[in-house]
Amino acid sequence: MFNVNKIREDFPLLKKTSIIYFDNACTTQKPKQVIDAIVRYYSEYTGCAGRSLHKLATKTTEEFEKAREKLAKFINAKKIEEIVWTKNTTEAMNLVSHSFKFEKGDKVITSNLEHSSGLLPWQLLAKKGIIDLNFVLCNKEGEFNIKDFEEKIDNKTKLVSIIFASNVTGTKAPLEEIIKIAHDNGALVLADGAQAVPNFPVDVRKLDIDFLAFSAHKMCGPTGMGCLYGKYDLLKELSPFMLGGETIRDADLKDHILEEVPHRFEAGIQNYAGAIGFGAAVDYLSKIGMKNIEDYEKELAKLLVEGVLKIQNLNLIGPKDWKKKNALVSFNIKGMEPHDVAILLDESNIAVRSGMHCAYPFHKFIGFDKGSVRASLYFYNTKEEIKIFIEKLTNIAKTLGK
Amino acid sequence: MVICIVALVVFSILGIGSARYRPAAKEAFKCVFRMIQFKPCNVQLEEKIKSKLTAKLMKAPRLASFTYKNFKTISWIFTIAFFASLVYSAYGIYNLIVYGSCDPNSATCRVNQFLQIIACYEIQMVSLIIVVAIILFAYFMIKKKNIKFVFE
Repeated sequence: MFNVNKIREDFPLLKKTSIIYFDNACTTQKPKQVIDAIVRYYSEYTGCAGRSLHKLATKTTEEFEKAREKLAKFINAKKIEEIVWTKNTTEAMNLVSHSFKFEKGDKVITSNLEHSSGLLPWQLLAKKGIIDLNFVLCNKEGEFNIKDFEEKIDNKTKLVSIIFASNVTGTKAPLEEIIKIAHDNGALVLADGAQAVPNFPVDVRKLDIDFLAFSAHKMCGPTGMGCLYGKYDLLKELSPFMLGGETIRDADLKDHILEEVPHRFEAGIQNYAGAIGFGAAVDYLSKIGMKNIEDYEKELAKLLVEGVLKIQNLNLIGPKDWKKKNALVSFNIKGMEPHDVAILLDESNIAVRSGMHCAYPFHKFIGFDKGSVRASLYFYNTKEEIKIFIEKLTNIAKTLGK
Repeated sequence: MVICIVALVVFSILGIGSARYRPAAKEAFKCVFRMIQFKPCNVQLEEKIKSKLTAKLMKAPRLASFTYKNFKTISWIFTIAFFASLVYSAYGIYNLIVYGSCDPNSATCRVNQFLQIIACYEIQMVSLIIVVAIILFAYFMIKKKNIKFVFE
């Protein structure tokens, strides 16, 4: 049974302080199990994976590959080799954009809701004249426009890059439908799963998704660690954009033979502690159960959205129906700067984020040129914390808002 | 942005005795340094001071609201008051060194009454600050309410 108080015991920071941490879309807190796994690597078996043959290196290789296996299982990948380590979602997205074999005139479709990491890599290619970049315009609530997508996709479209769950509106893209339409038109789909994989069960085989990028630190894992899932045959088709140690089988002064997938994409010494920590995070989440996490977060979303909607002078971004959202709200208070609201909440020991949340085009599209305040929850947050947050926010809006 | 000048001096002095204020002094310095290069302040120190000050006043909602909404005016008043007191103090010290009295025209201010330098000029200073405050307040209110004067 899901017991939030018991779960909170695992998080040293939550145990030690009275802080209400509502900045989980930025990064999450780390449970003791993850911290211990990282400390174990550094204190018991520090070594290089896949290189040396001594005991420490062998143990590192074992644990490093075991973490890969855990991740593959977590998202139901067909093969362990379909998991490529990256340093974050951004690097995973860039890996695809830089390694995909585009030909001049190929089209890429993305949306106006994207995070910078899902937009700028394509802008770069478009500016170089390598691709034609097209956009599906989500409505002002951040809902994906399937009709617009169907109109824009054609046989020139090689890739569709879409944010799975928005870090601003909390809405989910209809990924199954998008993938079906894309495949029918011969295009592949890359999803930015940074806000999706941590919050609800994601089955890559069921979705039939081609590429999925996500980060460890948004799902209780360490920072500086991410992953790219890709169908094995598609990964083999990519041309690595970064080469170095461990990416090749053989080389002479003029040429080289690439290592197998996924190692050909993992140049140089890897973040072993990060990968092992990522594996521990996946173990931790799996133990709680992703379905349980999703269900509990829905309860939080209901309370959160219904609470903020009662506050006068508050403009909520995205749908007002909590069923359409993750446990995340972005908003502005009339007459106040987003940073001011965040600092005032911080003075009450409530941590939220303010600014553009790396989604400049969408904020401009909805007329929030100075950004917004975002409160994003995770499964260790409590209903009591939401009540305190609503109370403090109401007071701020009432006293200082227009 | 102007409050950063006051913040630089205040936090620098406080920073001598306490490490807690040194990061704020550094931020204020960055802000002032950018300001003298005619670049906008990018450390958000003013926002932080404004919000932190407002947060402390939240128990008195009207005062908090007044401070939050008129922070620009208040920070201008503080800055002008700061420079005014700086000029008066410097003037007093100059008189003290040259003439042996902080105010050679006054019989009440003597050499051995060094600590009374400020007091000598108290009335003039307060009057000046009030006048400047009224002018600034009127200016910002006119600007805020978008009042336009038509002269024929």
